[in-house]
Amino acid sequence: MTGGTWRRQVAVLLRTTTARSLLGRRAAPVLLLAAMPVVLALVRGLLPPGSERVGIGSSTTQFADIFHFFILRFVVFVATAVVFINLFRGEVVERSLHYTLLAPLPRSVLVAGKYLGGLVASVAILGPATVVTFVLYFLPQMRVAPSILLEAPLLGQLLRWLVVMVLACAAYGALFTLAGLRFSNPMLPALLFLGWESLNPFLPPLLKAVSVVHYLEGLTPVPPSVRAFAILGRPPAPWAAVLGLAVIVAVALWASLWCARRLEISYGSD
Amino acid sequence: MTSDRITLHEVSKFYGEVLGINRVNLDLTPGLIGLVGPNGSGKSTLMHLLAGLLRPSRGAISVRGCPPDRPAVMGRLVGYCTQYDSFPAGATGLRFLRTALALHGIEPGQAEHRAWQALERVGLQDAGRRRIASYSKGMRQRVKLAYAFCHDPQVLILDEPLNGLDPMGRTEMIELFGELARGGRHVLVSSHILDEVDRISDRVIMIHGGSVVAEGAIRAVRGEIKSQPIQVLIRCDRPHPVAARALELEHVVEARIVDETALMLRTRDADALFAALGDIVLDSGADIETLLPADESVQSVYDYLIGDGGGRP
Repeated sequence: MTGGTWRRQVAVLLRTTTARSLLGRRAAPVLLLAAMPVVLALVRGLLPPGSERVGIGSSTTQFADIFHFFILRFVVFVATAVVFINLFRGEVVERSLHYTLLAPLPRSVLVAGKYLGGLVASVAILGPATVVTFVLYFLPQMRVAPSILLEAPLLGQLLRWLVVMVLACAAYGALFTLAGLRFSNPMLPALLFLGWESLNPFLPPLLKAVSVVHYLEGLTPVPPSVRAFAILGRPPAPWAAVLGLAVIVAVALWASLWCARRLEISYGSD
Repeated sequence: MTSDRITLHEVSKFYGEVLGINRVNLDLTPGLIGLVGPNGSGKSTLMHLLAGLLRPSRGAISVRGCPPDRPAVMGRLVGYCTQYDSFPAGATGLRFLRTALALHGIEPGQAEHRAWQALERVGLQDAGRRRIASYSKGMRQRVKLAYAFCHDPQVLILDEPLNGLDPMGRTEMIELFGELARGGRHVLVSSHILDEVDRISDRVIMIHGGSVVAEGAIRAVRGEIKSQPIQVLIRCDRPHPVAARALELEHVVEARIVDETALMLRTRDADALFAALGDIVLDSGADIETLLPADESVQSVYDYLIGDGGGRP
């Protein structure tokens, strides 16, 4: 088969997977999760402003906190778990995976197409949610200076928050793709992983390195303010953070490919 | 390596401790082949293995020269209508086939054209834009068939494809299987309804308890079962003298008068009976109208092989 055929096949998989993830019934919990920080930001905006919320610095810190502790560790984590675990597991549950496996697709094309489809879908949902939440956090300042978000440093911060969100989707997505292929009940390992990622601030520096969130924190434009119980350790340099995430994605996708090559259809036992 | 054969050599499949199929050896030339056996006998396991949806625990499989662990080749070579009555969520008949063809790398316009052609061939051209979820069981069966052959594969594997079809639909589909097989394809059709297989093909693979118990033309398989005398129905105007004369033959073990125009003979050697028929006619003065083997159906052969008195020949 030619490279052109493979590209067309990846494009078809990407399109169908994205549509299924965005429009299928499993999209509802992901949309609900994405709406949570927006609703929180709206509620915050409706409350009468206190003196501590007037400054840009205060809004920046508060957004950093909600991004680190809610959006990244909960919303992105759970949303990517739902999207990526179901890339394969969802089709097993629906008993339709055999249609995909009967197509003349090298398993590498299959894994790549589905992973990219999941990535596009999760970014399409979580990206706008991140932007809207960010905008809502700076509404008080925008009332005074409407174009404030289009200027440095806020625009730069927003772009970096988005980059972190996309990389989080990529890294968690690769790991959850693997979980969906490897485990017949991937929710249990996903919960254990959630616990591990949540414990990250309290882990010694060596163990911190064995987590996704550690590398993501190396890329955030603003650190979280709540570090009272954290075991302090310097986040990795941006280049090391990107490298670390790239290694996680590569290893997880390689392992996913290994599992996909051994994939069998036996719905009765799943 | 290219070949026009499907071969299985000592193929076994275990699901943990549970046996799927056991030491199956087959060498299949192109044509229409019935795969028969009761539910749970291993038919679907065998078909999954041939389509590459399962990997054998032991042994080797070659589908027209291709091992089934090469999905990029197998997907083009094989079309599989599975028993699973499930489809991608929200798909219409047209979109289902169009996506399948697009995954073959076929350009969108061509994929649409071929999808409509396949839908027309199974009589679903008017329902192509409807969601499959709204289809009847028979329509779902038809769209699965269209899915199996829309990319023009050389090997068609059809697992219980007549389930849910009305009698007219069954006749149409059986004709379609014949058409598809005439192009030099392998068309392997499974059924647990043995009478149905008689209508589909005279070549069968009989499977029971995960083992192939017989394979080949049904008449040849029947001839191999020496333990069970063959039944021959003779329609004639004087059944009594024909019966008396036939019983003089050493290989005829029973003669039973069915009615005034027919008798049933049981013989251990059908060929010898047919050879002696001319003498019988002369001696008895009867006018023989028809002579029919009465137990060369898949059902009776299967009963002999697997039933109470049967066993592996």
